[in-house]
Amino acid sequence: MSTVIAPVRPPLILGSKTYHQITEDICTPTERTPSIEWIVGFIVAVSALGLYFFCVTWTVWNGIGSWGLNRTVGWGWDITNFVWWVGIGHAGTLISAILLLFRQKWRTGVNRAAEAMTIFAVICAGQFPIIHMGRVWMAIFIFPYPNTRGPLWPNFNSPLFWDVFAISTYFTVSLLFWYTGLVPDFATVRDRASGFRKRIYNTLCFGWTGSAKHWQRWEALSLVLAGISTPLVLSVHTIVSFDFATSVIPGWHTTIFPPYFVAGAIFSGFAMVLTLLLVARKVLHLEEYITLEHIESMNKVILLTGSIVGVAYLTELFIAWYSGYVYEQFAFYNRVFGPYWWSYFGMMSCNVLSPQIFWSAKLRRNIFVTFFMSIFINIGMWFERFVIIATTLARDYLPSSWSLYSPTLIEIGLFIGSLGLFFTCFLIFVRVAPVIAISEIKAILKTAGDQYIGPNATHHDDATKQNEVVVTAAK
Amino acid sequence: MEFNNQQGVWIGVEDLSGDETFIEIAKQEFVSFPEAISEGKEMDGFTPNRRDFLKYMGFGLGAATIAAGCEIPLKRAIPYVTKPDAIVPGVANYYASSFVKGGDYCSILVKTREGRPIKIEGNSLSGVTKGGTSARAQASVLSLYDVNRIQNPGGIKDGKVDGKGNWSDLDKIIAGKLNAGSNVRIVAHTIMSPTAKKALAAFTAKYPNTKVAMYDPMSSAAILLANEQNFGDKVIPAYHFDKANVIVSFGADFLGTWISPVEYAGDYIKNRKIDNPEEAKMSRFVQVESHMSMTGSNADNRILVRPSEQGAAIAALYNAVAAGSNGSGVSAPAVNDRAAKALKKVAQELLANRGKSLIVSNSNNVGEQMLVNATNQLLGNYGATVDFVGASLQRQGDETGVQSIIKEMNNGGVDAVIIWGANPVFELPNGDQFKAGMAKARLSVSFNEVMDETTAACQYAAPMNHFLESWSDAEPKRGYYSLIQPTISPLFSTRQAEHSILQWAGAAPQTEQPMYDYVKSVWQTDMFPKQTAFSSFQAFWDSTLHDGVYEAPQSGATPAFRGDLSAAAAQINKPGTGLEISFFETVNMGSGQYANNPWLQETPDPVTRTVWNNTLALPLKYNGGRDYESVNNLKDGEQAEITVNGKKYTVTINRQFGQMENTTAIALGYGRTAAGYCGTGVGTDVQSAQGIGAGGLTQYFASGIQLSGKTGTDKKFASVQYHHTMGVHAAGKKDYNVDEAMIGFQGGLVERSVIRQTNLKEVKKFVEELKDERAEFQKLNSYTLYPGHMDKYTSGHHWGMYIDLNSCIGCGACTVACMSENNVPVVGKTEVHRHHEMTWLRIDRYFYGDVENPNTVYQPMLCQHCDNAPCENVCPVNATNHSSEGLNQMAYNRCIGTRYCANNCPYKVRRFNWQDYTTADIFPWNERDLRGETIGYNTEMPYGADNLTRMVLNPDVTVRSRGVMEKCSFCVQRIQEGKLTAKRESRQLREGDIKTACQTACPTEAIVFGDKNNPASKLRQKTDSPMNFIVLEEVNVKSNITYSTKVINKDETLEA
Repeated sequence: MSTVIAPVRPPLILGSKTYHQITEDICTPTERTPSIEWIVGFIVAVSALGLYFFCVTWTVWNGIGSWGLNRTVGWGWDITNFVWWVGIGHAGTLISAILLLFRQKWRTGVNRAAEAMTIFAVICAGQFPIIHMGRVWMAIFIFPYPNTRGPLWPNFNSPLFWDVFAISTYFTVSLLFWYTGLVPDFATVRDRASGFRKRIYNTLCFGWTGSAKHWQRWEALSLVLAGISTPLVLSVHTIVSFDFATSVIPGWHTTIFPPYFVAGAIFSGFAMVLTLLLVARKVLHLEEYITLEHIESMNKVILLTGSIVGVAYLTELFIAWYSGYVYEQFAFYNRVFGPYWWSYFGMMSCNVLSPQIFWSAKLRRNIFVTFFMSIFINIGMWFERFVIIATTLARDYLPSSWSLYSPTLIEIGLFIGSLGLFFTCFLIFVRVAPVIAISEIKAILKTAGDQYIGPNATHHDDATKQNEVVVTAAK
Repeated sequence: MEFNNQQGVWIGVEDLSGDETFIEIAKQEFVSFPEAISEGKEMDGFTPNRRDFLKYMGFGLGAATIAAGCEIPLKRAIPYVTKPDAIVPGVANYYASSFVKGGDYCSILVKTREGRPIKIEGNSLSGVTKGGTSARAQASVLSLYDVNRIQNPGGIKDGKVDGKGNWSDLDKIIAGKLNAGSNVRIVAHTIMSPTAKKALAAFTAKYPNTKVAMYDPMSSAAILLANEQNFGDKVIPAYHFDKANVIVSFGADFLGTWISPVEYAGDYIKNRKIDNPEEAKMSRFVQVESHMSMTGSNADNRILVRPSEQGAAIAALYNAVAAGSNGSGVSAPAVNDRAAKALKKVAQELLANRGKSLIVSNSNNVGEQMLVNATNQLLGNYGATVDFVGASLQRQGDETGVQSIIKEMNNGGVDAVIIWGANPVFELPNGDQFKAGMAKARLSVSFNEVMDETTAACQYAAPMNHFLESWSDAEPKRGYYSLIQPTISPLFSTRQAEHSILQWAGAAPQTEQPMYDYVKSVWQTDMFPKQTAFSSFQAFWDSTLHDGVYEAPQSGATPAFRGDLSAAAAQINKPGTGLEISFFETVNMGSGQYANNPWLQETPDPVTRTVWNNTLALPLKYNGGRDYESVNNLKDGEQAEITVNGKKYTVTINRQFGQMENTTAIALGYGRTAAGYCGTGVGTDVQSAQGIGAGGLTQYFASGIQLSGKTGTDKKFASVQYHHTMGVHAAGKKDYNVDEAMIGFQGGLVERSVIRQTNLKEVKKFVEELKDERAEFQKLNSYTLYPGHMDKYTSGHHWGMYIDLNSCIGCGACTVACMSENNVPVVGKTEVHRHHEMTWLRIDRYFYGDVENPNTVYQPMLCQHCDNAPCENVCPVNATNHSSEGLNQMAYNRCIGTRYCANNCPYKVRRFNWQDYTTADIFPWNERDLRGETIGYNTEMPYGADNLTRMVLNPDVTVRSRGVMEKCSFCVQRIQEGKLTAKRESRQLREGDIKTACQTACPTEAIVFGDKNNPASKLRQKTDSPMNFIVLEEVNVKSNITYSTKVINKDETLEA
């Protein structure tokens, strides 16, 4: 009992857990037969993934002509989806790296799932820039490899080229970070497993023995990766925003884009984390690990980033008016009141207005409200990207070329399919890996909590017994 | 043995040193290389054996089999066995010839590559077209390679030529069915060929009961008849639009379709160009019409009259002119008040410009045309702006002839009908009667190239050559002769119509090249004596053949005017009531004769900007709020039913700015039922709605029509422009633009630096303002992070272009020329509906001014070749980059299709190959036809996939495949060719060495291409004008195209 116990702080883990109970609770979902909820979810996700493969094949076979794009609007749902998925992929690193540096201990309850979500979201995001070329086999041209054509290099000035490196770096570092965290947990799973399963997890955990040296190296690596990841949280979406900000198109050519995109990305990332975890904690019975405290903390981040985004929207409008530049003024007027006004109002209401309810602590701690808000925000952030991309392109400089865009079934199928890809990956993840970082959460078990002192204090052994009963009953 | 170092040659050190092992190996006949070298030494592990051999062999065979299993279409290229002298592979040859189709004429140069005609250029030696071309002439080369051409003569059964007939059999059949007393009727459009006329004379000599009935689908018969009555000369006079200060046109679309548009456009624009704003002078052009025609859209003022009121308007102008010039007035029905007031003012202006004014009309009413003549006569325009010297022979048709043939045929009085290029079954308002009558003739034979509606109803097809396969001539204007020479051997078993006529008349020269000899003999007897420059005929012939044209000296006085004007006034059409419709022909489709040409189908109509359809133009009205209203609340792309004289037609609606209230209009020539792959079933057939007026003349309007509400929607309504205006205001509210109210933002359109327009009166003030504004832009643009960016373009060539908005009339010749030159694919209606059109050069059309009667500006828009190009820096793979000569170039093979360049192009001129439009994919089953249907494997080929159509491709320009971005290249192949020619001739590039396809096509010289670094270039002279501006200059993309301001000479008091 050497750690400081702050009785005023609410506990991070409820239910007076012992270390063993934590192991049990978190490893069990990977060991028992999948629940009916999981099976249904998996069938739906895999069906959507099948749709995805169909739509990709269709696109590659028939060309981008099978989409609803036209001479004026060259990007539509494809790049909207790309930016949306990249944005979602931001929560993981933020929670893992920045919150680690800020010593936010509550992050340990959610970081594993958030990191996994990041990986899968970036996988989904990475699909779209390749598919949107139509001839996917040409993607190789974008890499700077020595060649016999001169050699001919890519265009180092192009933001699309920067994207390739921003996204691939982010993906690599996130993957390393995530996997590093998984190594001791895989070892825990291995220790409980037998036979073939044991051999697999033994390989996955690189023969982790839990020696002090292992832990020391593991800690060091985690810290280094956290250090590397931190600037990436800011850089990736900054560079994605350059895809638009470096152009000359009014509505895209905006210096506010980097911070605005980063805030939006964190905003949408947290929303997606909430969507996933609110379901996961229920289905996997992790309510005691992912507590209302977590939900409230994340809602606070959402409130902050949502308000930043809101200020950015208003700043854009103000600057457009203030600029005195007719193209800019019209671009924003058109955004709000033009043919796509509904997407702008969808964006505004979902992203700016609705998160304001989280000023109320009661609503912040309400699971149903939070869940619906997280869905709202996901929709709103998708609208934001659609507004920026399609609305802006549809009416730019020359009125003669103004056009409209609506997606075809193939494009809609690609979006639904990418959700299928994401959820398939995520559902497999919850079956094979501990959804909560066991080793990390054990470290915070005693930092805060009232199970050792105060009115609810129970004796350690009693708690063990009680939980054993619970576990037996569960079996 | 001395093996090493034989003849001072050795292989490696071993050879040189005479290594034993090496010599041993070298002596062996069959060397097993790895084994021999290894010999248990360093390559021990590698010992190929029988099993390995079989493994690799098996794998190789399997792989080869799989690869070979994919069927890859084989395209053969066969070299010349004996190379013709004139042909150097890779070098183009040009031949002077003439484009003639009915009454359409253009003197041309035909560009051929390896014996294939691939491009039409204007012939600047011609005194008629002066180097200009029309969209129709530009597109005519594609018709040569039309897969729907009839490929051999023979009997016609079920709309097809029955079997593989040959000419001698057909000649025997014809000879058997004709005798000296046969009543032969030849139905044709205008024939302007002296040779053809001579052949017809020979035919008539053999069959004296022959009558030739020429008619024009868009008739000018009333002009001919009026001139016959007034001047005793049944001809269309020469109109000199360049000599007129005031032009009044009653519905005549003289810049687009009326009689000789290329000639008139070139003349008209001479008085419209402004080189120096200090002494700016322009003619004033007033168009009186109900429907916004292309010519009307170029007018300074438009006076709106109902189609049936046109006669009244002509009479009103006549009376006003007569009142001011001691003429005697006539009594005529009244025109609407607004028009009457305006016409009075116009009359004052005309009177002030006696002998320097011109009145023309497209009216097909003899009385109305006589009043037009009388007005010109009162104004002293004959001999000045209207002349019978060099009178036009481009419209000689008089449909009364064909109407009487219909009666004769139906009475059984006709033995044989010969169809020569005309398509009366489709074109005439009573085409069904023609068809019924023709069935009663003993013999009906058609010369037409394609199995059209009339040919399908004939007994025999005697298909004629395309004009690019023919020897012939033309006389578009009296004394202006023009030769047609073949540029390719006939592709099919076809024969010139003249040859068939001569053959049947028994007068054909029995030589190897009968038409060559015949044309030559006609020229020797008829044209050669008229000239004095050459003493030998051969020299004259060679010179004319080289030049393509010969102009005989001519003179003469205008015959005296006579005629009973009161009688004429009594003949004019009486104004009708109710909703009225007018029928017109479009620049691209004519009266349907160009329907099977996909280049023309895909060229947007200049005014409506729609393709692959004819639409009913409905007037629109501003509703005072944020929308326009139209009749029955119909909107663009919706369908409705019109009832004209009891006949119902389902038409697609297009709300049209400038359409007069309570009137509508629709183009003729659409809805062909037998036009071939591309033309059949495109649009609505309204031919039968045309009226037949007094005297049998076709009338192109109808009164008292009914229009239903919305009955459906054209789901593939294809319009390339959704937004049509650039600042239009309602009457009396000049500061409030209603189109900006609709986009919700006052100034949202007019404050853009896209078009610039002003009135002649205000041109000096405008120039000052423009100067200040551009100075501000340039000041802002001078703040740069990258000083010196432009320095690299100060030496060497720096290509640029100048486009004169004041000269551009929107005719679309440049668009078609660009498609032809650059292998721009045709995508079809569905794809254009989806805004997937591929045209590199488009002509944006904006209306401005009064919402109900706006003015128009046409803006050719193409890649601006920006020196600070936004497309270039965003391409991740450098597929688009800048040449040292200022060209923005595309490396198609490098393009990966991110489309960022297109998004980032402020001018939206980049075109993406959304699908496999050029059929460049090796697997055909993902291709689509022009209607957007998927083409199944092993079924019909998509458009352009066949070897015949592909013959039109320019071999100097890459055909782009799916997923690749493309755009205007400034005709880089021409630049390259020009530079190489100059280099070969060891000289500097000269002005005029390099001309882009759009530049050469333009009939008004609105486009000038050149080197910005050459101070002596024409481009530099043009670009220094203070009238110029750069589109979106403030965006600082450093565009290399300069536009000059659109100036109109509008009399605003006319519309008050």
